[in-house]
Amino acid sequence: MRAVTNGAIATLAVACVALPLFGSSYQIYLAELIFINIVAAIGLNLLTGNCGQISLCHASLMAIGAYTTALLTTRVGLTYAAALPAGTMVTTLLGASLGYPARRLSGLYLALVTLGFLEVVSIAIEEFPELTGGVRGLKLEQPELAGWPLSIGVLYYFVLGVTAFAIYAGWNIQRSRFGRAFNAVRQSVIVAQALAIPPERTKLLAFCIAAAFAGLAGGLFTAVVGFIDPTEFDVSASLRQITFIAVGGLGSVLGSVVGAVVLTLLPEMLRGAKEYSDVVYGAILLGTLVLAPKGIVGSLTLLSGWTGHPKARSS
Amino acid sequence: MTWRIASQLALSGLSVGSIYAIVAVALAIPFKASRVLNFAQGELVTLGAYIALLLTSCGIPYAVMVPGTLLIAAACGIALERLFIRPIIGAPEFTLVIATFAIGLIIRALIRIHWQDNVFFLPAPYAGPALAIGSLRVNPAYLVMIGTTAGLIALLALFFQRTRLGKAMRAVATDQTAARLMGIGVNMVFGSAWALSSAIGALAGLLLAPVIGVNPELGHVIIKGLVAAVIGGFGSLGGAVVGGLLLGMLETYAGAFFGAAFKEIIPFAILIALLLVRPQGLWGATQVRV
Repeated sequence: MRAVTNGAIATLAVACVALPLFGSSYQIYLAELIFINIVAAIGLNLLTGNCGQISLCHASLMAIGAYTTALLTTRVGLTYAAALPAGTMVTTLLGASLGYPARRLSGLYLALVTLGFLEVVSIAIEEFPELTGGVRGLKLEQPELAGWPLSIGVLYYFVLGVTAFAIYAGWNIQRSRFGRAFNAVRQSVIVAQALAIPPERTKLLAFCIAAAFAGLAGGLFTAVVGFIDPTEFDVSASLRQITFIAVGGLGSVLGSVVGAVVLTLLPEMLRGAKEYSDVVYGAILLGTLVLAPKGIVGSLTLLSGWTGHPKARSS
Repeated sequence: MTWRIASQLALSGLSVGSIYAIVAVALAIPFKASRVLNFAQGELVTLGAYIALLLTSCGIPYAVMVPGTLLIAAACGIALERLFIRPIIGAPEFTLVIATFAIGLIIRALIRIHWQDNVFFLPAPYAGPALAIGSLRVNPAYLVMIGTTAGLIALLALFFQRTRLGKAMRAVATDQTAARLMGIGVNMVFGSAWALSSAIGALAGLLLAPVIGVNPELGHVIIKGLVAAVIGGFGSLGGAVVGGLLLGMLETYAGAFFGAAFKEIIPFAILIALLLVRPQGLWGATQVRV
């Protein structure tokens, strides 16, 4: 089983690296969108799937990353390679400023606070048009990656590299002391405390990590799409990201990847019926929650008895 | 600020606030009964407006259309509860929050597919030129909103105090297991709570539609309903009403003094601040967290 999985991963990796050689520019763009969604989903999954904290504002953290990166390149004149980490950092700080007061909350109340945060961010974007372009959006001129311009190929490999790093980082965070602390806090705050895990600090850390991934995804989104406006980051965007992790599998990095890939490709396959895409998304999400709450990866793990999934081992 | 402007603002604040209050009450009823906060409530408001639009376009007179809309909405509520909520009733909060969100997304998308983004006009017999009461000029629709809300609250109070079903709902809200042991059909109570709250949501849609038109974004009012419910403390019907009226007034006065941007932001500022400082609401008792 392990050999088959490794083979599949190797084949996929080769396909990802070779894509610009044979793919059309649209396929490359689509692959980049998938990568961005993977980055965002991994962050959200660490927060929601592992730490058990509902967040409805992941899309607005992504918006903060996207706008900060865009403004740093266009207004301040930083290169993209410098603006992206700076944007990620700003998003992490803002995520921390939300996470710090919200660290005592959970469940429904946290859902409401994050929903409020989402609305505040979208109002702020719309109310400062001279900075953010307001509802008309913000266009990013062809960015420079530290010296040489971001051509399609360079951008693709850059996004691919960042995504690979994000998957690696997400994987390691999940299997580190902190990732195990997240799982403990989700399963029982009391047990976590008995194991000398401070729940509030752990939740705050999960918030910051999720915000960092969202900011990174937002910064990549800016460069790939070249145009950002507030409708990209509304509550249905947050819900889409939640769909990625719920359908892929909560609490699993592989689940985030699978969910993001499947659900980014799906609307493309349904392009003949574009107006149905929200219905399909909603139906898939609802169907998963009601019928297969463990998601694709969780269900497959149950079927095959493969123990690579942390939840399968613990339960 | 003269007395006239102040009372003019108070009137429009009260009328907007009464819509928020209705939505907050609709949110509170199933939450009290089954601990499920229905994030699709906003779309049930939208749905009510569209059902009314459909019935009106069939040539049904207003006096028949209103009860018809409420009944259809109640049936939708029962169907939603039976199909989607009951299978996951004991699930973690994450599942419940996201499932109701997904239901809302589907309803809104379906409405978009059928009616697009057009704004439709829903005729109402009371719509007309502003009335002059003393020195005030009053839109009759506002008076209908305030009056309907007052009537609704009185009816609900009677319902929960006097009827068997209302008492059963209160019993389930207090202690589900004890209620079951006393022979109360808990599932039936859940179903009725959803029917009632869907009908109340549709009522909000009926009141809103003649003022701002029927459109798919009508459901956005849920956010204000949520804020109102948070102000009042979740699950308290009286608190929800007071919270709604308070929010409507605050919003209107803030808009008049500090401009539209401030009016937009104030509900969320209140929401975040209250949840962080007093999640039990302004009047709620402090909960002991275990």
